[in-house]
Amino acid sequence: MLAAKLLIRHWRSGELKLLSLSLILAVTVLSAIAIFTNRLHATLLIQSNAVLGADTVISGSHPRAAHWQIEAAEAGIKTTESVQFSSVVYAGDAMQLASIKAVAEGYPLRGTFELSDQPFALQAGDIQAVQGIPARGEVWVDSRLFTALQLTLGAKLAVGDAELRVAHLVIREPDGLNPLSAFGARVVMNALDLPQTQVLQPGSEVNYRWLLAHDDPQKLGAFVQHLKPQLDPHQKIITVDNAQERLGNTLETANKFLLLTAVIAVLLAGVAIAIAAKQFADRHANSVALMKSLGASAARVRLLYGVQLLLLGSTASGIGLACGSLIQAAVVSALQMAYQQPFVGASLQPFVLSFMSGILCLIGFALPALWFLPQVPPLKILRQSLMLSRPQLWVQGLCAALAVLGLVVVFSGDWRLAGVVTLALLLVLALALLAAFGLLKLCQRWLANAGGVWRLALASLHKKSNHSAMQILVFAIAMMLLLTMSILRNSLIDEWKLQIPKNAPNHYLINIPATDAPVLQQQLAQGLGQNSVLMPNVRGRLVTINNVEPSEATRAKENALQRELNLTWSTTLPASNTLVKGQWWTIWQRSAADVAGVSVEEGVAKNLGLQLGDTLRFSIGGLTLTAEIASVRQLNWQSMQLNYFFIFEPGVLDAYSPTYMSSIHLEASNKAFLYQVLREHPSILLLEFERILNSIQVIMDQVAQGVQLVLYLTLLGGALVLWAAVMSSLDTRKQEAGLLRALGAGRRLIQGSVLIEFALMGFLAGLVAILGAECLIFGLQKWVFKIPVQPHLVYWLIAPACGGLGVALLGYFGCRPILTTPPIIVLREAA
Amino acid sequence: MSLVPMLDVHAITKIVPTQEGDLEILRPISLLINAGESVAITGASGSGKSTLLGILAGLDTPTAGQVYLHGHCLTALDEEGRAQVRAGNVGFIFQSFQLLPGLTALENVMLPLELHGNKQAKTLAMNFLTHVGLESRMQHYPPQLSGGEQQRVAIARAFASQPKILFADEPTGNLDSHTGNKIIDLLFALNREQGTTLVLITHEERLAARCERRIELAAGAIVTSEGI
Repeated sequence: MLAAKLLIRHWRSGELKLLSLSLILAVTVLSAIAIFTNRLHATLLIQSNAVLGADTVISGSHPRAAHWQIEAAEAGIKTTESVQFSSVVYAGDAMQLASIKAVAEGYPLRGTFELSDQPFALQAGDIQAVQGIPARGEVWVDSRLFTALQLTLGAKLAVGDAELRVAHLVIREPDGLNPLSAFGARVVMNALDLPQTQVLQPGSEVNYRWLLAHDDPQKLGAFVQHLKPQLDPHQKIITVDNAQERLGNTLETANKFLLLTAVIAVLLAGVAIAIAAKQFADRHANSVALMKSLGASAARVRLLYGVQLLLLGSTASGIGLACGSLIQAAVVSALQMAYQQPFVGASLQPFVLSFMSGILCLIGFALPALWFLPQVPPLKILRQSLMLSRPQLWVQGLCAALAVLGLVVVFSGDWRLAGVVTLALLLVLALALLAAFGLLKLCQRWLANAGGVWRLALASLHKKSNHSAMQILVFAIAMMLLLTMSILRNSLIDEWKLQIPKNAPNHYLINIPATDAPVLQQQLAQGLGQNSVLMPNVRGRLVTINNVEPSEATRAKENALQRELNLTWSTTLPASNTLVKGQWWTIWQRSAADVAGVSVEEGVAKNLGLQLGDTLRFSIGGLTLTAEIASVRQLNWQSMQLNYFFIFEPGVLDAYSPTYMSSIHLEASNKAFLYQVLREHPSILLLEFERILNSIQVIMDQVAQGVQLVLYLTLLGGALVLWAAVMSSLDTRKQEAGLLRALGAGRRLIQGSVLIEFALMGFLAGLVAILGAECLIFGLQKWVFKIPVQPHLVYWLIAPACGGLGVALLGYFGCRPILTTPPIIVLREAA
Repeated sequence: MSLVPMLDVHAITKIVPTQEGDLEILRPISLLINAGESVAITGASGSGKSTLLGILAGLDTPTAGQVYLHGHCLTALDEEGRAQVRAGNVGFIFQSFQLLPGLTALENVMLPLELHGNKQAKTLAMNFLTHVGLESRMQHYPPQLSGGEQQRVAIARAFASQPKILFADEPTGNLDSHTGNKIIDLLFALNREQGTTLVLITHEERLAARCERRIELAAGAIVTSEGI
């Protein structure tokens, strides 16, 4: 096949090196990021699902329909179940309210139980991860129950009519994050022992949980969709998405950033591809004219070059994909070692997308430059000066922009991000082009009277002012994208650190009896040196709005209407809250003596269309409470503080027997102290959030590492662009230098003028780059990442200085062959 | 020998628009070249030689008139049609050699053969390169060859596809006289061997003298036409 032969010949002669290297780089970066994020996502999902015990849980107050099990088995979905209820358990004469979880064989589908033989075990050596469930006749209990009932291992615990042996202590359990509905300490038992207990009677309040898992999320998703219409109103679907919203948000930002970096790296590689393609096209205009003079038709030429391009694209994409896979594998393996965290394998999707993106890059960046080739008239072979009708610059820019848009949409599915990135880039490029021309003109005016090497350098810039402006633009694009990425990376990481304040609460104490509250507050203040706020807490439902029951549609829209809520009162506005409408209790006046005031969270108010002065009726333990909306609050959900949708006037809930809740920050060294305190207050439930916080931290670190790697690859992309730009002018420079040297100019003079010319271009490009980067960063910070906007003054010095120096060195090394080769050879090669 | 003339030209003109008005590069020109003839087209710089060559070879179109190449009316065809006529009928030798810098000498000679789908491209190309005395330079790239060697590669390329008519545009213009003479000898020797029709553009007397006929152009018109 002639096209393949020609491709090999062009490759061997070195004509395709820059083009293929740029393409390989683009695919390497894209595939490394796509595969890495795909694996990170899948891994986090598995980790998060370990918290849930499954990929999806169908939770309800009735057992699931029997035929679902058969359908699940047919669909290849793994299932198991648990039954959760509260009951009083006995050990001898001692008794305690416990939250019992009866689990079936196969539980949990994700994650493990962590057991110990020591109550409140902290040391890793005392804790053992166990796959499996309690044997028949055995129970596992948590440390508080163990100490409250003064149990020993092997002791008997009565659950209803069944006497079960205490085999182990549960330190951590999957699917344990259902704290606000769980009362009392945990007992885990085998579901086969359940009938023997006789505890579950008609009308008992029971939570049946059917756990589902499948390695292919799409298959599981399809099955859940199939179940959805069959669920009754008391059954709901729980996935990790609604369980861990915060993690999701962080990950989404990280994903956006990684994607943005990938786009920037691809853009850099794209610019290099476009330059290389233009160089290739320039050199091949004559070849095409020759082939056509020998009888090749335009269609034949198009086919020859099209097939070459396709072969080149596929080969380079394949190599890039292999490099990207290797890089992500190295990063993942380093992360696995560092965090002791196994990573899940990637799906096929990122491989396919990355490969296709190589072809898309070629179409978007290279094809426009090569498009005119088949139309080169054969007469060109006789008349070298014949002008060729090349595509306009704006057509090339449009194709590149469409390619970038396509890539961002394909990889993120986020049209908004794609739109912002593409529009901003186009705008900044147009500005940068104007700035490049303007600065070049100014420079020529200021340095008009300079002598020696300066005059030579300026003459060179002036003579090719269009070409010089384009080169400055290319240098500026590379520097601008690199600046944008490194500045944005720093500000995002700072912002992430702020998202989780250093002393954010990581433990929550709930179900604190009113009688224990003052003592506990004092103990915590003495032991931890923290002034803990204890919030009163009652559970109730919002039943009417302005005396009207919400419609089914409204209920479906707002989660707060579908469940019991935690209600509280507070004298002061809590720290992480901001009043956006109405007045706080110090100023607010009741409109009627028997209608209390309530402050509503902004999101709920918006979803339910609530206004100041609207009346809400709550049902609390069979009693009702009517309240008027006094204010609307904005909450900082990232603060990790206890947050409430509804906060009442002080004292309003006193009549409803509140328990109390508190959030505290606890260092690992203080954990033993807290456990000691809890022994004295057995009914208090402890929620340890540190694991989730730690996993967020690990993800941050993982993402930061990924970003670092991409930064290096992007730097390589930037260097490629700069190199390509220098090389693109080498042919003309060869001719000029040969001529100057033939006329007797010394090497030093030519060297000096080359250095000055490139240094000036680099300096101007640095100025344009920082200007463009500030504009881009402003847009990204304000509209995409929504973080505070700041100027970066120090970069206004760094960018032109480094630009001047870097480009001068690059130019010098790039042009060295023309300085060291004898003029006759230089002239002959140039001819 | 075919009775169809190799080139039959009827009153062609070439006018190009310029800022100062239309510029007449070729005034009505008619000529006939038979198969196997060697014809030199001479004239001073700017006399319209190269424009005439471009039109005769089907690389360019006249403003008026008709050109028949081996019976095909080039002026009635579009670029694709003219390309079909050129394929296999026409060969070129250029002043600036026009070798592809990314291909070796051998690959340059193979290119037209490969374009025509010739399965023996390599063998044929090697034979022709050997014939022009470059058997030891086959794997060299054009920049590694001297001017004379490059033109010999170009001659091998032109003859390798065995064209019916060969257009040579100042083939010795970039060479010193010694090398130029050798190239002329080679060109005419191969022309005799292959029986190719040769149309040679030159301003060198000694080169024009080697052709059977000579057509002299001045200001876009034929001023003298000599020979058999």
